[in-house]
Amino acid sequence: MKSPNETQKKYVPDMAQKEIEDMRNLIQANSKKVIADYIARMKKTSANRPEAMKYFDDIADLFGQRQKEMQAAKESGKKIVGYFCAFAPIELILAADAIPVRVNSGWYDASKIGDRVVPVEVCPMVRSTIGAKMISLSPFLEMSDALISVLTCDGMTKLSEILGDFKPVWTMPLPRVKDSDQSLRFWNEEIRSAKDNLEKLTGTKIDKKRLRGSIELVQKATKVFRRLQELRKGPPVIMGRDAMLVNQAFMWDDITRWTEKTEALCDELDKRVEQKSWACPPDTPRVLVTGTPMIWPDNWKMPSLVEEASPQGVLVADELCSSDRILNDPVGVDEWTMDDMLKGISERYLMASTCPCFTSADGNEDRINWLINKVKDWKVNGVVYYVVRGCMLYAMEYSRVKKVLDRLSIPVYYLDTEYTREDVGQMKTRVEAFLEMLTARVDI
Amino acid sequence: MALEIVGEIMKLTVLATLAIAGILIVLIWKKNLATKVTYLRYIIQALSLVVIFYLFTFPIWLLLMVGIILLMTIVLGRLYCGWFCPFGLYMDLVTAVRKATRIRYRSIPDKLNKALHKSRYIILLVFIFLPFALSSISIERLSMVLFFAGDFKPMKVLLGPLVPVIVPWKGLVVFNEINFSYPYVQEIMEYGGEAFGTYLSYVFVALTLAGAFIYRRFWCRFCPTGSSVAIVNRFKGFKWAPVVHLDKNEEKCTKCGICKRVCPVQVTEVYEQKGGKIGTSMCMLCLRCVEMCPYKECLKVKIGGKTVFKSRNWLEPSKSD
Repeated sequence: MKSPNETQKKYVPDMAQKEIEDMRNLIQANSKKVIADYIARMKKTSANRPEAMKYFDDIADLFGQRQKEMQAAKESGKKIVGYFCAFAPIELILAADAIPVRVNSGWYDASKIGDRVVPVEVCPMVRSTIGAKMISLSPFLEMSDALISVLTCDGMTKLSEILGDFKPVWTMPLPRVKDSDQSLRFWNEEIRSAKDNLEKLTGTKIDKKRLRGSIELVQKATKVFRRLQELRKGPPVIMGRDAMLVNQAFMWDDITRWTEKTEALCDELDKRVEQKSWACPPDTPRVLVTGTPMIWPDNWKMPSLVEEASPQGVLVADELCSSDRILNDPVGVDEWTMDDMLKGISERYLMASTCPCFTSADGNEDRINWLINKVKDWKVNGVVYYVVRGCMLYAMEYSRVKKVLDRLSIPVYYLDTEYTREDVGQMKTRVEAFLEMLTARVDI
Repeated sequence: MALEIVGEIMKLTVLATLAIAGILIVLIWKKNLATKVTYLRYIIQALSLVVIFYLFTFPIWLLLMVGIILLMTIVLGRLYCGWFCPFGLYMDLVTAVRKATRIRYRSIPDKLNKALHKSRYIILLVFIFLPFALSSISIERLSMVLFFAGDFKPMKVLLGPLVPVIVPWKGLVVFNEINFSYPYVQEIMEYGGEAFGTYLSYVFVALTLAGAFIYRRFWCRFCPTGSSVAIVNRFKGFKWAPVVHLDKNEEKCTKCGICKRVCPVQVTEVYEQKGGKIGTSMCMLCLRCVEMCPYKECLKVKIGGKTVFKSRNWLEPSKSD
């Protein structure tokens, strides 16, 4: 596990230590401000914000409590495994006695540094992740002993290569057509090799008992995760951003604690449903957001715009791999044998996914079904199709999604943006116009 | 005397087993495990085994039973195979033994599985015509066949899987005056004659037991008894059959593949089909997929047009529905 020599870096230019530190301190200080600012704004929007949200506000500080905990765990000998896409088998990481943490970067400023390595046409999330690594910004990415990179889109494929300059990266190539026998066999093998890699890294053998334990642990998290999404079906009892933050906190939080705290949040929300105490007026237009993942902290501008606009909208559901899709599907195990558990894990990650990197005889129909189901059951009034520049796969699927939603007479709004704060004013006008239109429809 | 005592003990054992099973099912029902339907199915299978044993003591009922099974498979689909067939129960028991030994099952490749399923008509024909090739079936016996009289009845092949392990007639093995038999063994004995037939029977028993140990519900994939529904379905005017069927809601389905993996006969249609009524002749309605499907109301069992059982989010304990 030797780290590659500085001079052997294939992609990343050498930077002076001082420059790295200066930039890190600058961006970190700014990021802390952004985090505090967003949380303050979230508090302001929701008049009677659930008290249980306090925990998530604290855990949302990426440079706070959780960083210290993970540092302590690392010093006590635990390994930390970072991962990029929602395909990485968390159950296996947990069973190997390592800490899983998702290390996608949402820092706007870091993407500017990433520009030194890749051109601006590349997806800003990839650029931002490269930039964050170059200046050692993300505490989780820094602490990771190894990275699992699932080769979903082109950006992720090359990102894994570039980050190979810093860390050992285990790539997991995905088949592009998922519902065939050979694809599943291939992915099964990938899951097995991930298991071997993890065992080698931590020295803990993943046996039946450990794996069953971790599957059941994540199932518990899935259970409460689903409960939260079910609560969003009714009149808005929680603001969409709050729910999104809770969902996203799973990416770096301790899973047992996250489950407990979310359970407490759901209990509180259940009481509010009984008291009919809503987070915003029940006739607020209900918006679903789909498209490119939105990563805390900086890339929170779109949800903020929707929920702070006037007229206000509320996000009731989404189709983001950074939010509603993280834990929607449980691992279903028929018999608790090693083989069946591994197959269950591999199917849960591969087959249930609605990532646009897949296609089939009928295109990415799973995503369409997801959207139709969400729109119907969550009583969505309008859909925001959010794409960052360079996110080819989501951008290209737009036409199909629009056609389907037109058939359901659900207005769709295509919002393309970048990792930048400069277009917020312009976006605000556009989002407000869309929400005004939705409000008019709701009134009818 | 000894036989009577053994008989009494066995009756008590059966009763005790049923009682324990009953308690078990209530407990499981209360605990809301995802497997309650499967346990219910085991109980019904055990009960029907007892019923079938007593039915077999009246030989006159055999033809009637063939008729009933055919009618059932036409009207109810292969519900019979999943819930009542004794041979199915034996295979489930073998599976239970395998589970206890913590050995994993294996799957037959989908294509081969489908080919095996198609070969069930050939197996049926072989079972019916084998005696003409192998042993001394005289013209007189053959003419009796046409009137469903005499000792050899080809129709009985369809009743093959119904044979209980302990039979009221002379079985393959007699131990302490208890007659032991096994599905299809009687037919094989009849075809093969005394010596060869016995030998063949042992091979058959060993093969099916080993098959069931490795593959779940091994024989069901090509059992000739379950073929009637597929025949009827081909004709116009019979599209309504079977009345009991699975129904899938495409929008709720994420194609996670659980239904395909948990299916004991590896039916792929539930996974592959887009939605609506699931059309397959291999599904025996054991409902394992419905109870394992993690999406609420994605898979449903319908009788006529009415939903009787549907998938639910099994992570949550079910509300008293």
